[in-house]
Amino acid sequence: MAAADSTFLSIKGPGSINGEAFHKLSALATLALLVGAFAFGNSAFLSVNNGLTLLLQTSVIGLLGIGMTMVIITGGIDLSVGSVLALSGTVAGLLVKAGVPVPVAMTVAVGVGAVCGLINGLVITRMRITPFVATLGMMMIARGTALQLTGAAPISQLGEAFGWLGNGALFRMVEKMPNGLSKVVFPGIPYPAILLLIVAVGAAYLLRRRRLGRHIYAVGSNEEAARLSGVNVERTKIAAYVMSGALAGLAGNVLMSRLVTAQPNEGVMYELDAIASAVIGGASLMGGVGGVSGTMIGAFIIGVLRNGLNMAGVSAFIQQIIIGFVVILAVFIDQLRSRR
Amino acid sequence: MTPLVEMIDIERHFGGVHAVDGVSIDLYPGEVVGVLGHNGAGKSCLMRILSGAMEPSAGKIRIRGEDARLDSPHQARELGIETIYQTLALADHLDAPANLFLGRELRTRWGNLDDRRMLEEARKVLSRLNPNFRNLGDPVSRLSGGQRQVIAIARAIYFDVKVLIMDEPTAALGPAETAMVGELIKQLRQEGIGIFLVSHDLHDVFDLCDRVVIMNRGHKVGSHRIEEVTKDDVLSLIIKGALPDDWRPRNAGAVQ
Ligand SMILES: Nc1ncnc2c1ncn2[C@@H]1O[C@H](COP(=O)(O)OP(=O)(O)O)[C@@H](O)[C@H]1O
Ligand SMILES: [Mg+2]
Repeated sequence: MAAADSTFLSIKGPGSINGEAFHKLSALATLALLVGAFAFGNSAFLSVNNGLTLLLQTSVIGLLGIGMTMVIITGGIDLSVGSVLALSGTVAGLLVKAGVPVPVAMTVAVGVGAVCGLINGLVITRMRITPFVATLGMMMIARGTALQLTGAAPISQLGEAFGWLGNGALFRMVEKMPNGLSKVVFPGIPYPAILLLIVAVGAAYLLRRRRLGRHIYAVGSNEEAARLSGVNVERTKIAAYVMSGALAGLAGNVLMSRLVTAQPNEGVMYELDAIASAVIGGASLMGGVGGVSGTMIGAFIIGVLRNGLNMAGVSAFIQQIIIGFVVILAVFIDQLRSRR
Repeated sequence: MTPLVEMIDIERHFGGVHAVDGVSIDLYPGEVVGVLGHNGAGKSCLMRILSGAMEPSAGKIRIRGEDARLDSPHQARELGIETIYQTLALADHLDAPANLFLGRELRTRWGNLDDRRMLEEARKVLSRLNPNFRNLGDPVSRLSGGQRQVIAIARAIYFDVKVLIMDEPTAALGPAETAMVGELIKQLRQEGIGIFLVSHDLHDVFDLCDRVVIMNRGHKVGSHRIEEVTKDDVLSLIIKGALPDDWRPRNAGAVQ
């Protein structure tokens, strides 16, 4: 398997290119190839509007993928993120409906996600349940809670302020036309994309430059060695699940805000997209390997595939099949390389 | 003089298996004590208990005369007990400096990892142990057995060590590196550090140790000053769990 983010951990001599960098480059090349192919097939693919749609779609997968990456590096998995996203989003919607200001409601939603992650972490470390089973349980608990709280009905008419995060944009320029209509001069940078950028930079900083990040790699690399070295393995794992949960909560805010509706049925199977982006980006399910930049590339590959195939009129079912193949291929290529 | 370490009536059971069965052992400053025995005799378990990596089923531990609780490797390290584990305990995907400082990372004023300083320090201590040590930036999984062992040793001596536990430290080493470890042990003893050396190499043991403790099936079957026994005596203790029938102390010193 590729080296841990050794680009971060080490000083490299010139000309020596390590496995992880190679994987990232090939993922990036794949992304460029996809964009080229879709642009060739349909000129509208490269339009500003489609670019923004793509950014919006990718931001949710990206947020989930970053949290998933931290968990995967510890050697775990978080199957609950899609359901936690739904629970957090519906909690935000319910609170806003009850008259709570939007920023407070969304903060509570992130907190709900973090608590779900904390429960995952405690179940895994204290009760010694495997991550797969623990988060599978949480997947059902969070989904069930979201459905129970709402009676399975979407909560709509949440007001303009609720839609701000998902639909607003920075530097948006609109010109009033003489005929009374308005013309968009520059559509602006969508807030979800900015949020994703901030989270990505923060997560990369945490993984590369902070002790917690170092311990996350150490725990996934050799849990026993980390323990014998005095690393608090339990706390490190719990922190990873809490961050994954909190980011799922944040993604829930973004998604429900974009729909201006709290949908308890949203986010089904999103955990699989998140895992796929991490794995396509070079993370190893064996632990110890992975990084934010790789996962971002992975998220965009999935986003571009979905978006491009949509525009080409390929059905959602076929899309699923294609993405399935892509994930297997990415891991296969990685294994071929590390087996040499 | 107060002993650095006193382990008293230590027991450790795994279900019906008595890995360590009522063993008492002590260690004085500047002393090298060899711990010998067959595979499965309980040497590693006894050492891991002192490292804080394994909980004893019963028994007492005193460090510098004071009762100590060694519930975690972290607590043991706080007391100056450093361990080179038989398994080396390295995180394969991390590089040498990251492994050297794992759990005790150097940080900048802002709490960021100080990777540059860790690299410099690692280069210093590693080159002291092996002047040819390169590849400080490679994940340790890519290094040779000898280099990995050197990292494990460096990690144990870099920090303020009082008691050093070496569980088969030369198992993966070539002759030159083995000789280097021997020199290192002599040097650390000079500095007043107490060392438990688990080894199968009787030549090394007789060269380096002041005292030998022999274990057999979880029991301590002998504890002797190195001058009063021969290699054959020690072999007999290891194999039979007893001294040869006609044994007399070589020097009239007391048998402990
Ligand atoms: N974690 C464990 N679980 C169960 N049995 C163990 C464990 N560790 C060691 N043992 C058993 O305890 C005995 C002593 O092992 P060990 O201390 O490793 O021996 P040595 O280091 O002298 O070769 C062996 O029988 C071994 O199988
Ligand atoms: Mg052993």
